[in-house]
Amino acid sequence: MHDRVVITGIGLVTALGNNVTENLHNLTNAVSGIKQMKFLVSEQKQFPVGEVKLSNQEMCEILDLPYDCHISRTSLLGILALKEALKDSGLLDTKGLGLISGTTVAGMDITEQHYPEPLPPNKPPVHDCCSNTNFIADYFGLFDYTSTISTACSSALNSLILAKMLIENGVKYKVVAGGTEALSKFHLNGFRSLMILDENPCRPFDKTRSGLNLGEGAAYLVLESESSAKERGAKILGVLSGTGNACDAFHQTATSLSGEGAFLAMNKAITSAGITPKDVDYISAHGTGTPDNDSSESAAILRLFGDDYPPISSTKSLTGHTTSASGSIEAAFCLLAINNYFIPQNVGYSAPDENCIVPFVGENTEDLKLNNVMCNAFGFGGNDSSIIISRYE
Amino acid sequence: MLLDLEAMIHQLLSHDMNRVFVTAIVDSVSEEEIKNLISPVKSRRFGFLQKRALAIAIKALEDGKVDKPDMILNGTFMGCIDNSLKILENMHSEGESVSMPTAFMQSTHNTISSLIAIYTNNHAYNATYSHGDISFECALQDAFLHLKSGLATSALVCKNDEITSFMQQNPDFFGTITPKDISEAWVLTTNPNITPIFEIQDVVISHKKGYDSAKILKIKL
Repeated sequence: MHDRVVITGIGLVTALGNNVTENLHNLTNAVSGIKQMKFLVSEQKQFPVGEVKLSNQEMCEILDLPYDCHISRTSLLGILALKEALKDSGLLDTKGLGLISGTTVAGMDITEQHYPEPLPPNKPPVHDCCSNTNFIADYFGLFDYTSTISTACSSALNSLILAKMLIENGVKYKVVAGGTEALSKFHLNGFRSLMILDENPCRPFDKTRSGLNLGEGAAYLVLESESSAKERGAKILGVLSGTGNACDAFHQTATSLSGEGAFLAMNKAITSAGITPKDVDYISAHGTGTPDNDSSESAAILRLFGDDYPPISSTKSLTGHTTSASGSIEAAFCLLAINNYFIPQNVGYSAPDENCIVPFVGENTEDLKLNNVMCNAFGFGGNDSSIIISRYE
Repeated sequence: MLLDLEAMIHQLLSHDMNRVFVTAIVDSVSEEEIKNLISPVKSRRFGFLQKRALAIAIKALEDGKVDKPDMILNGTFMGCIDNSLKILENMHSEGESVSMPTAFMQSTHNTISSLIAIYTNNHAYNATYSHGDISFECALQDAFLHLKSGLATSALVCKNDEITSFMQQNPDFFGTITPKDISEAWVLTTNPNITPIFEIQDVVISHKKGYDSAKILKIKL
């Protein structure tokens, strides 16, 4: 009935690299970007982080912005990624686009530098989520619709889900969606307070896993209807064929043992894509490396897919947990996997856990062809989302 | 030209789709009602805004005669900002060794929509929009499109923000922007048998440099 919603551009900035090419290179070679902090000013140096390897000043120079500490790192990362996505899709001169961005901590890096002094009244607002989304949008001047989703670690994935909704209902033709989040003291110490940070490199699904490494980054995907993409001769990278959003409704930060929310979200995504679990060729897991998340995500996957589940990996041991941006960063990785015929490795895994799935750590075979890929992102509050990206043919 | 075309296609697509009714709007709740609507035992660790938001949501669901909505949405400018400010203050006065798990958890903007889901044991679609003073309209548009296209039959859409005493004393703390102190909940349904307050024809959101606007097009019944 509907025109399919296709993806025609990717922009990526993570600890693995400042663009798609660098990310692809380090993703295929499984080279982790998690290191000791360099740009974040914090006493908590014992925690390794997935930092983007650019200072704010370097990003301002790249973007031709005056270096001025009132542009949040979240906005700078977002502009870098959005610029690449627009360029990749051939839309750098197209007006009337929509932007949906996921973020939570937003401009907290700037607010915490000033506190207890107020933010300067003569500068553009920077603290709240919306100010960051609109600052990113207005750098380009192409957007006549902007929105911000803030569902913690599933924010960017929910942005993709809303984009599909807007396109299918004819509200917008072309929507750029994703998320951005930068490291801040607030964020790092918040996760430290919850006692879910690991001082060693994280090990998703491993028996010895003991927490996550925080990361940062941004990714945006250009989404449009298939007819719009064909009409303008855009290259089509994949189809956003299914989406699912559900709530675990269990606890603000802990996950239910059975992973009810995760199960419901994955099941909705598969059903709405019109496929069955057997048709899923790869799962990009949320896989944060915390004891709770990985066992409940595993329980939900086993319930839905049985023991015969497809290859699964978490890329968070490469990028760190990029929180609000993780959904679109990992959806971008899924598109790279489909188009470059590989499955990302679950780095850091060695000891099987009876409560977890066994993730993909093997060699990629030459005849690998991924037709349907699932990408999960689960947030605090049990805001669980899942999407299916399919090969375009 | 492009906009006209988009509007036309939207109208064509809208034909034969579901009608979306608002059956309850609740924007205030007394202390007494809060005590009656939510268990004091369960809510002892909730912040001020969380309590008010939850009570108003429950009251709206009762008024709107929807037991378990297919969607729970919240629009918030700054979330439970009291918690964020507490963390900033403690990091400033005591340094980074301070541990505040509850405040951090409740500072995350989606804490209210999650709380409503947890409290009412509802696994449905759940999302939070944080887009300045049109956060509620962004959430409402998401619900409207789901109901109109038949993907959901009912929705709870809330708006929640607080002005803390710190913000009253420092009204310019965040620069030129300030949220309003508000809790409000709307119940939407496609069921024509529940007496509606009005029908939603469309929710239109637009952006110009440095400025967002939103319109809720209503049909009086």
